[in-house]
Amino acid sequence: MRQAGAYSNLLCGGISGRTGPHSLPLARIKKIMKNSSEDVKMISGVAPIVFSKACEIFIEELTRRSWIMAIDGKRRTLNKEDIASAVIATDIFDFLITLVSNSDATDDATVIQMETI
Amino acid sequence: MAGIREQDQYMPIANVIRIMRRILPPHAKISDDAKETIQECVSEYISFITSEANERCQKEQRKTVTAEDILWAMGKLGFDDYVNPLAFYLQRYRESEGEPASVRRTSSHAVPHPPLPLSMLQQQQQLPFLSAMPVSSIDGNNNCYGFGYGFDFDQGFYRDGVGGGGDASSSAAAFVPNFDHCFPHLKRDNSNM
Repeated sequence: MRQAGAYSNLLCGGISGRTGPHSLPLARIKKIMKNSSEDVKMISGVAPIVFSKACEIFIEELTRRSWIMAIDGKRRTLNKEDIASAVIATDIFDFLITLVSNSDATDDATVIQMETI
Repeated sequence: MAGIREQDQYMPIANVIRIMRRILPPHAKISDDAKETIQECVSEYISFITSEANERCQKEQRKTVTAEDILWAMGKLGFDDYVNPLAFYLQRYRESEGEPASVRRTSSHAVPHPPLPLSMLQQQQQLPFLSAMPVSSIDGNNNCYGFGYGFDFDQGFYRDGVGGGGDASSSAAAFVPNFDHCFPHLKRDNSNM
């Protein structure tokens, strides 16, 4: 059962060190948090730790939903359109809609420019 | 030509791929643009949640964005299924770091309260019985993260007495800190009246 994997990670996964076994680098998380808006002043020490776990859960959920789209398309390769489809199909991922559709638009524009040269 | 990606505004791609691989079957392939898109989505997620949390801090005239603010923002923005597992993770982290109870009590405070008697602290820091709560939840997100516990960061776990926190709709309510247990002397006064 997929959820069991995430759950057992919670119990036996690495919480033993402050910086060590977190899956995602805390300093980088803190930097992204600071960049999120002009007026973020101070960030408590444990907030990036919460995010390191939250981002794991987020990546797992987004990957899971995207993979379902790939299977629907009878493919074994997860590609960007699968992610875009998953984002559109999931309400709480609405904040990502611009991101996944902008990327497509940029790529298309680049292709058109190259073709006209 | 696409600009050079500033790698330090994203999570390292190797870490992202490793997490994705936990979910995907072994034969699955991931295109390069999919990897990059997930990387971008993660950074966007962090920014999205942090902005909301920061707004709350500003409204309450606090300078520090705390873990509690982050979890509150997640609940508000629809990620309430994440809140309980994250609260549990944070609790485990704090215990493994050997943070003394008094430090945990005073860190990241929104509301001051009198010190708790030792017996109450001991009671609260017991780990919850995870087997007591059925894990399945029937909601659109198909997520099984409900544990049925509310969380007050400064005092450890409290049980959500208002009904299960296992479904998405009630877990936001479960997250609202319940400070009733801070003032047991007042409760006793009420019952004596």
